[in-house]
Amino acid sequence: MGLPDASGDLSSEVEVHAFRRLFPLRFYERHLSESIRPDGRPLGRARDTTIALGAVASADGSALAKIGSTTMLAAIKMEVMTPSMESPDEGCLAIDFHMPPICSPIVRPGRPAEAAPVVSKQLSDTISSSVMADLKELSLVSGKAAWMAYLDIYCLDADGALFDAALLSAVAALSHLQIPAVSLNEDGRVVVVSEEDEGKPEKEPVNREKRKLTLKSIPFSLTCILHKNYILADPTAEEESIMETLVTVVLDSSSQLISLYKPGGPVLANTSAIQDSIALTRQRVRELQKILDEANSGMEVD
Amino acid sequence: MEYVSPEGLRLDGRRPMEMRQIRAEIGAVAKADGSAVFEMGNTKVIAAVYGPREVQNRSQQMNDKALVRCEYSMANFSTGDRMRKPKGDRRSTEISLVIRQTMEACILTHLMPRSQIDIFVQVLQADGGTRSACINAATLALADAGIPLRDLVTSCSSGYLNSTPLLDLNYVEDSAGGPDVTVGFLPKLDKVTLLQMDSKLPIDIFENVMQLAIEGCKAVANYIREILLENTKQLEYRRGL
Repeated sequence: MGLPDASGDLSSEVEVHAFRRLFPLRFYERHLSESIRPDGRPLGRARDTTIALGAVASADGSALAKIGSTTMLAAIKMEVMTPSMESPDEGCLAIDFHMPPICSPIVRPGRPAEAAPVVSKQLSDTISSSVMADLKELSLVSGKAAWMAYLDIYCLDADGALFDAALLSAVAALSHLQIPAVSLNEDGRVVVVSEEDEGKPEKEPVNREKRKLTLKSIPFSLTCILHKNYILADPTAEEESIMETLVTVVLDSSSQLISLYKPGGPVLANTSAIQDSIALTRQRVRELQKILDEANSGMEVD
Repeated sequence: MEYVSPEGLRLDGRRPMEMRQIRAEIGAVAKADGSAVFEMGNTKVIAAVYGPREVQNRSQQMNDKALVRCEYSMANFSTGDRMRKPKGDRRSTEISLVIRQTMEACILTHLMPRSQIDIFVQVLQADGGTRSACINAATLALADAGIPLRDLVTSCSSGYLNSTPLLDLNYVEDSAGGPDVTVGFLPKLDKVTLLQMDSKLPIDIFENVMQLAIEGCKAVANYIREILLENTKQLEYRRGL
């Protein structure tokens, strides 16, 4: 199959790759006019998505999410802290997004990728505005002790749609989170109870019943590219670099719009383009909800 | 504290000369020229190699050989307590330098002048022996990228606790305060390229501990060869040969 049998075949194969590199926009437009993309997907379809929960054994909650080749590893570590004066019975969720140099050839060590702080801010805004996790559940002793949940998301492979994959991995990690059991020791300080200590009377856990977070409206997102009259769902890195206008729509599981993000770009979007993107996102939300539920029920069987 | 029980079992149930379970996978990062995931027990690292490619900083370009760059960083959640500064601290800089010099010795850099080879290693879970796991992962990633190597570089650590030489220390044994010997070994040439030791150790016992680490390296080398052979078979199969 890959063997060059006739020199004519090899030269035409080389020409396609050269054409793709030299005239990427024309290469894509030839495909879009037939309503297909170079990897064989129809315009509105996203890539294969998988979620694996519990990828990091040492973290309190973790998930590995892959959309096509884009890979995100999210892990949550819990620490006890004193809550702030304004909200004494609420915990805190700190979200951080990292793009280490392994993920992409354009990320240089010492200089953070341009996309990293943008996606980081988008993620914190989306998760806090979606009110998915009730921070009051993270409280231990009102005014004295509360949980600080550090959610770190690492991009292991950057192949487009970074925000979608990051949000999916964050949501999956939060649904996998097991809050560790704690008890008050003699000084009145909260101490994490390890498995051997459970059962000893002085170390009765303060929060034995509430080990998992209840998640209400879970946000899911879809990034689309607008190019002339076409809307391409779930772009790869190559598509993002050629056609620069992106629209990200975040919906929750009851199809309520949480956020809409279109950071400029050469293509102007009219109402119908936005509505089409929202329709594509609605469909995607159903797919993602199913995948997340399967992953969660897979964990419970164990 | 007792690190080796009277029956001869360590804290995790291993015998003193037993390594942890090794698992490796090639091609984890699609965007990289070569990549690999390497696990030694609970220690899990991912390595990606980009290159040979154009030098990013012209002033560092060398006309007769390739420039090798390495960066080691740990994920925030990799250790027991969350790390505040995963890169740029002294330990990460030192390990980056060690890995770079170890790999540079075995890459045939004179075949790729005026180019740059980047080796990035990210620790996802740390349970002792991260330096060794990173070197093993980097070797696999370089082989996956097709970069010409003099020989595979394999690495393993060993220590000496409760008067017993122990192979492949985990985090608890490593932080016990006893000596920790890390060896980087070229199996076919039978030469040692990296040797680091801290704490105190009598010279005659040091010989034994170092030999034990070298045996560990040979075991890792056998496993790496199997993985590479399996990978090549898969590539041939896909090409229809």
